[in-house]
Amino acid sequence: MSPRRVHWLLVALGVSACSAPPADSRYVQTALPDPASFPPVAQLLTFRCGTVDCHGSALRNLRLYGSSGLRLSASDRPFVPVCDTQAEIDQDYLSVVGLEPATMSAVVADHGASPERLTMVRKARGAESHKGGPIWAQGDASDVCLTSWLAGQTSASSCANALAALLPTGASDPLSQCITP
Amino acid sequence: MSHAWKACALVALLSACDPVHASAVSALGGEAPGVRTGPLHRPGQPCLLCHDGALGDPQAFSVAGTVFQHPEDRVPVDGATVSLTDVSGGSYSARTNAAGNFYVTTGQWSPRYPMIVKVSAGGTTAAMNTLIGEQGACGGCHVDPAGSSSPGHVSLELADGGTPP
Repeated sequence: MSPRRVHWLLVALGVSACSAPPADSRYVQTALPDPASFPPVAQLLTFRCGTVDCHGSALRNLRLYGSSGLRLSASDRPFVPVCDTQAEIDQDYLSVVGLEPATMSAVVADHGASPERLTMVRKARGAESHKGGPIWAQGDASDVCLTSWLAGQTSASSCANALAALLPTGASDPLSQCITP
Repeated sequence: MSHAWKACALVALLSACDPVHASAVSALGGEAPGVRTGPLHRPGQPCLLCHDGALGDPQAFSVAGTVFQHPEDRVPVDGATVSLTDVSGGSYSARTNAAGNFYVTTGQWSPRYPMIVKVSAGGTTAAMNTLIGEQGACGGCHVDPAGSSSPGHVSLELADGGTPP
């Protein structure tokens, strides 16, 4: 084989090696936030962020399924059933933890310290450009809801208070019966 | 013509050639027979798709849509009051016309999202139980048929006299 052919063969091997890493070397999240305490967080996220004109879209990186937006089951309708289903909450969990896997692992491993390392936290606080604008302020009930979950100490009451304050029709809103204090 | 003007003309030309936008507009189809372009046309469609303020497009709307009587029919509600309230506490009311259409121009009012809305007519008030995140066109989300990603067209009351969520 001529040196020229060997050269091109090596180039081809190099390119293919870069474009297709073996499965066993892919990133595995080392620390994950608690799925069991995620439901009240999911409930807030789906209502505040998951309307069908925002993150209630299967096309978004952060895609959220829930009662007040996009339903996971094709047979479900907005508010029917009235509360988020467990399957929707499970999908929302995967979406949230999969946005920035390495950073999520780092924040959770550090017990929620400096959660602003996550783009999702920065966008919600308005610290980074977000088409939906600032969603909440650092330290308010909604922010505490999310960051306490990242810290492994979910404040379900903060999530419930934040959601209750957001419901346009207050206690008569169908979602009010889904709030888990 | 200076280079700046040429650059501006090029940008305007390119922005007018958005294939995604053009495809979405094309999917709306033509005008209904006998209905002229104007306040009564295209009830139920996503108004802001064309009324977006882009070069060559019709007057820009900030919020617009159509109110129908029931989820099961497309009977328009004439004279309904559409009350809009945004996150800053600002509010604006619009009235539907004979086609059920209402519209708010950007010069009249532009909301800061999220926004909430309720519709009142004939002693019935239907309040939307979710927030509007960024879409000023009701028809952008309220698409027929109703399904897992849409509640269907905007309606004032259910067949049993209740109000839709």
